[in-house]
Amino acid sequence: MKKLIIIFFVLINICGCSKNVDVYQKNIYVMDTVINIKVYSEKDASDILEKIEKLYNEYNMLTDRYNSYDDIKNIYYINNILNVNEELRLDYKLYDLISFSLEFSKKYDKVNIAMGNLIDVWKKYRDSASGIPSYEELNGISSISESDIILNDGNITKLSDVKLDLGCIAKGYVTQLAGELLESNGFDKYIVSAGGNIKVGKKYSNNPYKIGIQDPIDKNNIYKIVNVSNESVVTSGGYERFYTWEGVDYSHIIDPYTLYPSNYMKSVTVIMEDSSYADFFSTYLFMIPISDGIDFVNRDSNIEAIWYGLDGKIYTSSGFGNYE
Amino acid sequence: MNKNDIKLIVVVFVVVILSIILLNIFKKNGSFAKVYYEDDLILTIDLSKDNNYKVDGYNGEVLIEVKDNKIRVEKENSPKHLCSKQGFIDSTMQTIVCLPNKIIIEIEGNKELDGVVK
Repeated sequence: MKKLIIIFFVLINICGCSKNVDVYQKNIYVMDTVINIKVYSEKDASDILEKIEKLYNEYNMLTDRYNSYDDIKNIYYINNILNVNEELRLDYKLYDLISFSLEFSKKYDKVNIAMGNLIDVWKKYRDSASGIPSYEELNGISSISESDIILNDGNITKLSDVKLDLGCIAKGYVTQLAGELLESNGFDKYIVSAGGNIKVGKKYSNNPYKIGIQDPIDKNNIYKIVNVSNESVVTSGGYERFYTWEGVDYSHIIDPYTLYPSNYMKSVTVIMEDSSYADFFSTYLFMIPISDGIDFVNRDSNIEAIWYGLDGKIYTSSGFGNYE
Repeated sequence: MNKNDIKLIVVVFVVVILSIILLNIFKKNGSFAKVYYEDDLILTIDLSKDNNYKVDGYNGEVLIEVKDNKIRVEKENSPKHLCSKQGFIDSTMQTIVCLPNKIIIEIEGNKELDGVVK
């Protein structure tokens, strides 16, 4: 009889059906993308998914640069309605996000959240597919200087008609908050997929999460698969965000110093725990030459990265092999 | 352990291994695509039959075509027509997302990947 019981348990393990783990899913349409959240849990995750949808919607409105909302002082408001030198009390959530971003870009100055005026010019040309702007036009735009943004005890003041654009951080930042919210509510096995950003929790089976990195040239293909748990994977560059004019690909990431899109690589993918930092670092690495990026990443044990060069060659940081 | 125990173990293991093999064969037969509007599954499509389908998207009708075990969005109403430009897909690693229409098409199957960064 004992043996029978042993066989029974061995079988259960083979089936992998010893636990009643369900998958709870939600698709959220915000920030120009669809965010898919899967929670693996024995208890019902519907309520927490509702809360996460609210979180994304809230930050979507706060960081929205093109629309205003009733009773919300968002980026649109700061950029287009707030007067120069006028102080505005901000929602602490937006204040914290801007303040976090400014702190990062002080250290890594190619990352700039005050480039709205520059991005707008490029967007105009890209949307109408009407060539590329001249240096004179780009040089003539209003301020893109972050020092024109003053934060003080919950308030914001702009010293010029500088325009904020949180495109390089908003998704990663909220995705980080979403992960933290899930974990603090006892849901530690999850995957949040937000286009170029993925954040995963603890593994839900014996295997880590398998994340494919899209080939920036042939978007129906995956050029690398990484195995991760408790990590964020963020790609900058990538096929879908390029604008091609006269055979030249222009990325959507614009260098605030040259005023032109960065063109050192096809894409770079960063793996690190925190999704906000991963979002920033992928943008930063996209803006510096691959060799400099490799040196940079190899000095920091918290980051690993993989580059897809302009020549189609793949480069990886020294610890990247741990994820392959 | 007597003879009967060994027999039992052998029989049980043979049954388990056979069923795993059968399950895998069964899984590979017939692939299906799932069409979602926002969070709701609105249509399951058999990819082995060439056919055309219409679903309601946020901006109106979305036409879906199945041909040679592949699926695509043939026509939809959106500013950039990104999802109809994407063309046919046939692998579980690919997804068609029509953002303005809030339509997602996924191919069902044993997912090799948990996610894709783009």
